[in-house]
Amino acid sequence: MYLKDMRTGQSGLVVKISKGHAAERRLFEIGLVPGASVEVVSRHPFHGPLLLQVGNTRVAVGQGIAEAVEVEINSSSGSTP
Amino acid sequence: MTIVIIGNPNVGKSLVLNRLTGSNFIVSNYAGTSLEISEAMLKLPNHEIKIIDTPGVYSVFTMGQDQQVIKDLLQKEKPELILNVLDASNLERNLLLSFELKELGIPMIVLVNQIDRARRLGMQIQRDRLENILGAPVVFFSAITGEGLMELMQMLEKNIDEFAWPSRIESFFEQEKKPECVFQCRECSIGSESCLSSEDFRRAEMARYTAQLVVHGQSETQRYWMEKAEKFIDRPLSGTILLLALVFLGFFILLKFIELSEGPISALLYPLNLIIENFVANLLPPGIVNTVLSKAIPEGLIIPFTIIMPAMLMVSFLMSILEDSGLLPRYSVALERVGRLFGVSGQAVIPLSLGFGCRTPAVLATRLMPTMAERFIVITILSIVIPCAATIGVMAAVISAFHASLMVLVITMLMVLMVLGFIISRMMPREEVFVYELPPLRIPTNKNVLKKVRLRFAGFFTEVLPLLLVMNIIIRALMESGFFKLFHSMEGFTRALFGIPADAFVAVLVTMFQRYLAPLVLLNINLTPREATIAIAMISLSLPCLPVMVMTVREIGFKGLIKILIIGFITSFVVGAALNLILPW
Repeated sequence: MYLKDMRTGQSGLVVKISKGHAAERRLFEIGLVPGASVEVVSRHPFHGPLLLQVGNTRVAVGQGIAEAVEVEINSSSGSTP
Repeated sequence: MTIVIIGNPNVGKSLVLNRLTGSNFIVSNYAGTSLEISEAMLKLPNHEIKIIDTPGVYSVFTMGQDQQVIKDLLQKEKPELILNVLDASNLERNLLLSFELKELGIPMIVLVNQIDRARRLGMQIQRDRLENILGAPVVFFSAITGEGLMELMQMLEKNIDEFAWPSRIESFFEQEKKPECVFQCRECSIGSESCLSSEDFRRAEMARYTAQLVVHGQSETQRYWMEKAEKFIDRPLSGTILLLALVFLGFFILLKFIELSEGPISALLYPLNLIIENFVANLLPPGIVNTVLSKAIPEGLIIPFTIIMPAMLMVSFLMSILEDSGLLPRYSVALERVGRLFGVSGQAVIPLSLGFGCRTPAVLATRLMPTMAERFIVITILSIVIPCAATIGVMAAVISAFHASLMVLVITMLMVLMVLGFIISRMMPREEVFVYELPPLRIPTNKNVLKKVRLRFAGFFTEVLPLLLVMNIIIRALMESGFFKLFHSMEGFTRALFGIPADAFVAVLVTMFQRYLAPLVLLNINLTPREATIAIAMISLSLPCLPVMVMTVREIGFKGLIKILIIGFITSFVVGAALNLILPW
């Protein structure tokens, strides 16, 4: 499952990121690495950006990124759609 | 002795430098304020220390532009000490950089900044444990309250002889150039552009583990009310509505302020004006020089004060609040979708909105944009479409003087913004990488806001006022000498194409190079509301002013500027001709 498929309030662990090295670097810098836990704080409509909570940081990522980050949903945070 | 400050973006590095040295660098609540390196001197009782502030980075081992700046700086300055500034409320991410810096082997002091905020959030950080893990002294610091300042100074004074630039570091920087590290970087201690090394992951792991070990009790008390506001604003619908409402409120306050202040200020200046006029008129022998100067000097003084000053003052104030509260980056998220239409990512909101204050620093702020192509788009839009504070004041005055149509002007500007953005972005390659860190919301401190208003407003006295005075004298002289009458033969041409008299067209040409001059030139011509609307639209959508041009050359080169100037000329003429065709009356 990908970040883009997550619903608001769901959290999960990042499994894999496949979006080229530049983007991976950028994500690494803000703490979005395989193994990190993310929570979707909100989603903007019309394929807008997703707001994520990564550690103590709030990060906004565009759809391009959200499509490239593979996550594993925490079962406690709600069932998969 | 030299100290280099290194830390993540938006952790308060510049504020630390200001506290330490008493200097005045601009501080904002969003990532990427210090895009350039700044330095200041710290005077201790027996020593003088050079302190250098650097752009915020998340990692010094990566290959970005900012990282290179820091690497070059380290090799050039050979600092004896690194001051690693961390955000106390966000240790996990900040510590990653600390672990990288530790490997450089340069002596380091770790400054845990914004400790007051972390405490308010209910976080407890175990200092001795952190010192043990990092192997470096840790100082709790608050640039707001001044906590830790004395301690840091004493620490510097006491240990000053122990700090030294390590010799083995040279080989460290060489390592990343080795071919093995480029092709098999997982084995090297520094990752490379093309991949993350296992060391990168180890450090990330260490940072996470350390943060868990030294930070206690954060989750229970996180229900601080700022967080509640954050929740509200970060919800797509309620947040976007609130943010847009704030923009309207801002513009309303701005326009009301301009409107209300003009009367009192000119009433106040009127007697002074008469005195100057009489003084100049009596001082010089009668003749053309007398007429020009006695009219131009008082006029050149009163126009900036009544028209430009209020706008600049208010915009500086509103922008400072927007920056310090942490709201500005939220606009980039809310407007990300809209920005896509223009071919720019949401980050563009920051330079574009800075442009409403002054466009020169806004051009510098385009460094936030991820690609050169996007920088060009944003600089072009800034140069041609965005009105700066001084321009807004000027335009407001001319619009009301001629009863020109504000609505037509606003719609024209929006249309140009859309069409221009659309066309340029189609000409540029695009890549969708939008990642932006949102700072926590903060209540701006009076002191910081006041300081910023003062800094921004200083330009009024150093740039706007002298420039207008000089230009006004030149324009007056041209008018009195009948130079502008030479253009009367163009009347038929300008009437047919743009629907404005030749005088106004000359005014347009003059003001293209300096928009502040619009009222000086236009107010001396008789124009109908229709003619005024067209002339003002052509002026508003033309060329960047001289300081912006200089900055543009510095940032994207001469070729970029030439392209922008050509686009500017075309835009202005197309707008004039189009409005002439469309406007009915």
